[in-house]
Amino acid sequence: MLNLSFLSPLFFIGLAALALPIIAHLISRKSGVKKTFPAVSFLISSQGDLATRSRIKDLILLILRALILVLIVLVFAKPAVFSFSKSADNKPKSIAIVIDNSFSMGYENNFGRALDKALNLIDSIPDGSFTIIAPLVPNNENEQALIQERSGLKRTIQDIELSNSFTNNETRLEDIYSKLQKTPNDTKEVVLITDLQKNGWENQEYAMPWLELIDISQNPETSNHAVSEIDLDHGDDSTTVRAQVSNFSNDLVSELLTKISLNQQEIKNYIEIEPQNSSGLEVSFRASSALEGIGEIQTTYDKLKVDDTRHFISDGQNEDTKILIVDGDPREDSRLSETYYLARALETISEISGTQITVLDNNGLLNQELSEYELIYLANVGEITPRIAKELEKFVDTGGTAVIFLGNSVRASFYNTLLKNILPGDIQSITQGGLLRAQVDSEIFSKEIADKINQINIEKLYKTIPHAESEVIIDTTAEAPFLIKKDYGKGSVFIFTSTADTKWNNFSITPVFLPVIKKIHDLPNMHRSNSRHYFVDETVKIETFQDIKSMTVLNPDGEEYKVDTDSNEFSQTKLPGIYKVKTDGEVKYRFAVNINPKESNLEKIPHRSIESGDDQKGALAKVFKEIWRYFFWGVIALFVSESAFRAIFS
Amino acid sequence: MSNSILDIETALRLKNFSFRTSSKVSGYKSGIHKSHYNGISPDFLEHKQYNKGDELKQIDWRLYGRHDRLYVKKFEDEVNMRWCILVDKSASMDYGDNKYNKFEYAKRLAATLSYLLLKQGDSVGLIGFSDSGIELIPPRSGSHFITPILDKLNTLEPQGKTGLEEPILTALEAYRSDASFVIISDFLLETGAIEKSIKLARNSKKEISLFHVLHPDETDFNFSGSIEFEDLETNTKVIVDTGSLRHTYIKRIGEFITQLKHTCHENEARYVLSSTNEPIEKSLIQIADK
Repeated sequence: MLNLSFLSPLFFIGLAALALPIIAHLISRKSGVKKTFPAVSFLISSQGDLATRSRIKDLILLILRALILVLIVLVFAKPAVFSFSKSADNKPKSIAIVIDNSFSMGYENNFGRALDKALNLIDSIPDGSFTIIAPLVPNNENEQALIQERSGLKRTIQDIELSNSFTNNETRLEDIYSKLQKTPNDTKEVVLITDLQKNGWENQEYAMPWLELIDISQNPETSNHAVSEIDLDHGDDSTTVRAQVSNFSNDLVSELLTKISLNQQEIKNYIEIEPQNSSGLEVSFRASSALEGIGEIQTTYDKLKVDDTRHFISDGQNEDTKILIVDGDPREDSRLSETYYLARALETISEISGTQITVLDNNGLLNQELSEYELIYLANVGEITPRIAKELEKFVDTGGTAVIFLGNSVRASFYNTLLKNILPGDIQSITQGGLLRAQVDSEIFSKEIADKINQINIEKLYKTIPHAESEVIIDTTAEAPFLIKKDYGKGSVFIFTSTADTKWNNFSITPVFLPVIKKIHDLPNMHRSNSRHYFVDETVKIETFQDIKSMTVLNPDGEEYKVDTDSNEFSQTKLPGIYKVKTDGEVKYRFAVNINPKESNLEKIPHRSIESGDDQKGALAKVFKEIWRYFFWGVIALFVSESAFRAIFS
Repeated sequence: MSNSILDIETALRLKNFSFRTSSKVSGYKSGIHKSHYNGISPDFLEHKQYNKGDELKQIDWRLYGRHDRLYVKKFEDEVNMRWCILVDKSASMDYGDNKYNKFEYAKRLAATLSYLLLKQGDSVGLIGFSDSGIELIPPRSGSHFITPILDKLNTLEPQGKTGLEEPILTALEAYRSDASFVIISDFLLETGAIEKSIKLARNSKKEISLFHVLHPDETDFNFSGSIEFEDLETNTKVIVDTGSLRHTYIKRIGEFITQLKHTCHENEARYVLSSTNEPIEKSLIQIADK
C-alpha cells in the first residue's frame, strides 16, 4: 500500500502565497481606479457576453495561477510515496546509514542519488533513534558518531565525499555495526546505499540480519571502459609505453580515442575493444636516450571518468624483476630438483627482460625477507610457518604475486589453515588426473596457448575446491582444477595443483610450460618494489636523503603535507595524479598515484540480499519514492498554459 | 464675465459667412432668407398672367408691349429668420476638463452661433433642456440681444438626463411660424427617440441642425487597465477591462454616429459631429455659406 508523505513539510508555509492571486483577482474585480463617464450605456452594451467571457477568463487564470503556486510549494515540500515494510514500527532504533562512496559510485550520478536517498531516509527514522552516518570508504576526517538530531545528520551526509578508492565492505560494515552495540535500543540495523558493484565484497552473497542494502543505481546495464595497466620499457633511444584499456560492457567499444603523453609529446590512437575484454596499446617516444618525466594515458571520457586516465612516471631505467624460487625438494643433482625446469624457464625469460632469480630451500625461506621480491614460487614446500604465512599474505596484499606448486611434501591442512586468506582453493586429497582443458573465458592465456594445453598429461594432482572469488584457469575432466587464480589485496596467487617437476605430470617439459610461466611473469603488479606508481590510499615509503631532515609532499591539487620523519611514510594519497616530494623547495622526485582498476568493473553482486525479508530484522519503517519531479513538470506545463491562455484571450 | 463663453475670434473669422436655411421661410422683417411671400426685393422670380386684384404697379408693361397681354412680375421676398438654439444641459454634458468640457463647448458654440445669427439680422431664441427642467428665452433680433442669451447660457447648470421630445415640443410651441432649430447635445439617447423628435420638428416644417458634441474619450476610448466607470446621468457603475473592450466600444459608438447621421439624412436634418478637442469654428463652418 502506497502512502503520500512530504519530506520538507515546512515549505507548506509557502501556501500563504496563494493569497496573492486571489487578492489580485479580487482587486481586479473591484478596480481601484474609478471614473465618471457619459457613455456608460455604450460600455455596458459593448461588454455584452464579453463581460461573461472576461469573468470566465479571469476565473480560469486565477485557478491556473493558484495551481502553479500550489505545485511550486509541493515541489519544495518534496512529496514522496512510501510503503511500510511488514515489520515497520515507530519504536526508536539504532541505525547506521552507510553511503557507498567507492569510486564506482561516480558512475552517472549514483553518488548524488545516494546522498539524496540518505537525506530522505533521515526523515523516516523514528524519533528517539540513534543514528550513525558513515561513508563506506572511511575518511578519517569525519569518522562516524552517534547523532540523534536530524539536522546534524543531514549536515553529516552532505559532508561525505566520493572517494577514489574502495574498501573491504564486510569488514567496514561489521565495524560500523559494532558501534551500534553501545546504544540501548533493541533494534539495530545498518543500511547500505550502494550501486552493488561487486568489487569490495569478499563474499558476494554476504547477508546479515541487521544489514539492508538499497540499490541506488538506475540502469542495470552499465558500461565502462578504463585504462587498466601501464608498463614502461626504456630502450637506448626510445621509451615504449604499453597500456591495456579494458571494456567492461557487453557492447563493442569502437574508435575509442586514446592519448598517451610523455612530457610534452602526445601520441593519439583509436582502438577497438571487444565486449568484456582488453585491448593493448603500445607507443614509442623517440629520443636520444630513454626519457625521464611524467606522462598520462587518457581515453575519451565515459560515464565513470575517474578511471579513464592513468598517470605514470618515467625514470628512464628498467627495473629488474626480483624472483624467489623456494624449492621444497632440492637435490644435489640440480636436474632432479623440484624447481629445475622452473628455474630454466625463468632464466630464459630473464634473457628477454631483466630478472634476478634467487633459489632457496625450505630453511632458507624461514629467514627470508619476502617484501623485496615481486614474484615468489613455492614448489612442493612442505613447511609453512605462521610467520611465513603472514609475510606471504602481506606480500600478496601489497601487490606481489605468489605461485604455488603442490607435491608430496605439501601438508594440505597447514596450507588450508595458514594460507586460508590467500589460497585460491581448499586443498583436499591427491587424486588421479584427467584430460586438461583451459577455460575458454579466461583472460590469462591466448587461444594459441589454450589450444596446446591438452598436451599436458597429468597423472596425479590434489583435488582442490576453488573458492567463490577464485578463477579456474586450467581445469581437468577429473573435476579437479589444475590451475586456479585468486586476487588478494593488490596481488594475486596462482596454485598449480600438481608438481613443478615431472614426478606427477609432464607440464614442465611441454611447449606450453615456458609461455605459461612467461605469462604469469608478465602479469601486472610485477614491478612492485622501488616503483613510483601507487594506488589511491596506498601508503608511500618516501625515500630518504642524506643530511635532509624535513620533507614535504605536494599532492596534485598543490596541497602540501609534511612527511613523518620517524616512519618516512606518506598516506595522504587520496587523489589520483602526480605527487612531488620536495625538500628545501626543491623537487627531489615524483611519484604517480592511480585508482585501482578493480573497481572499474561495474558488475554487480546478486540482488538477493536486498529482497530477502527477515521478520526479525526490523527493517526500515518506510521505503520512499520521491515524486516531486512530476510536480515540477506540472509547474512548467501550467506556466506554459497560463502564458498561452493569456496570449490567446487577451 | 458673461462674454467669456463667446468666442469673439471665431466670430470675427466667420463674420463674412452667412447662416441660411435650405428652404423658404416666413419672416416679418427683411433679411437674407428667401421668403414664402413674393415681395419687393430685387430678385425676380417669374411672370404671371394678370388677374383681377393684382397690383397694377406689378404689371410688366414692356412684356405687354411685345405680347399684348398683361403679365405681372413676381419677386422673391427676403426676410429675416428665426432660430431656436437648444442646448443640452443634462449631466452627461459635464464631462471633460475645462478645456475640453462638453458643456462648456456646447455653450461656447451656442453663444458664438447666436452672436453670428444676430449679426446677420436674424432673431435668436434659446432653450436649455434636460429632464430636470427647460429654460427658454424667446427669440429676439438685434445685436444687443446677445447679452441676455449669454447671461442665460452662463446660468445653465448641467444636471438631469437628456430628453429631447419635451424641449422640441416647447420650441414648437414658442416658434409656431417657420424657424430653424439648432440642437447642441451629446444625444445619449435611443436613436428611436432622437428620430421621433426630429420628425416632430420636421413635420412642423422646422429646419433642424444637430451638433453632436462628443469628448475624445468617448470616441477614442483612450483608457488603460481595469476601471470602474460611473454613468454621469444614471450613476450606473460598471467595471471594465479597457484593453479588451476598446475595440468593441469604438465600433459601437461608431455605429451610433453612423446611425444618427443616417437618421438626419433621412429627415433632411443637418448633422455635425463636434469633437471638443477641435475648434468650434470647424463645426460652425459646416452650416455656413460664404
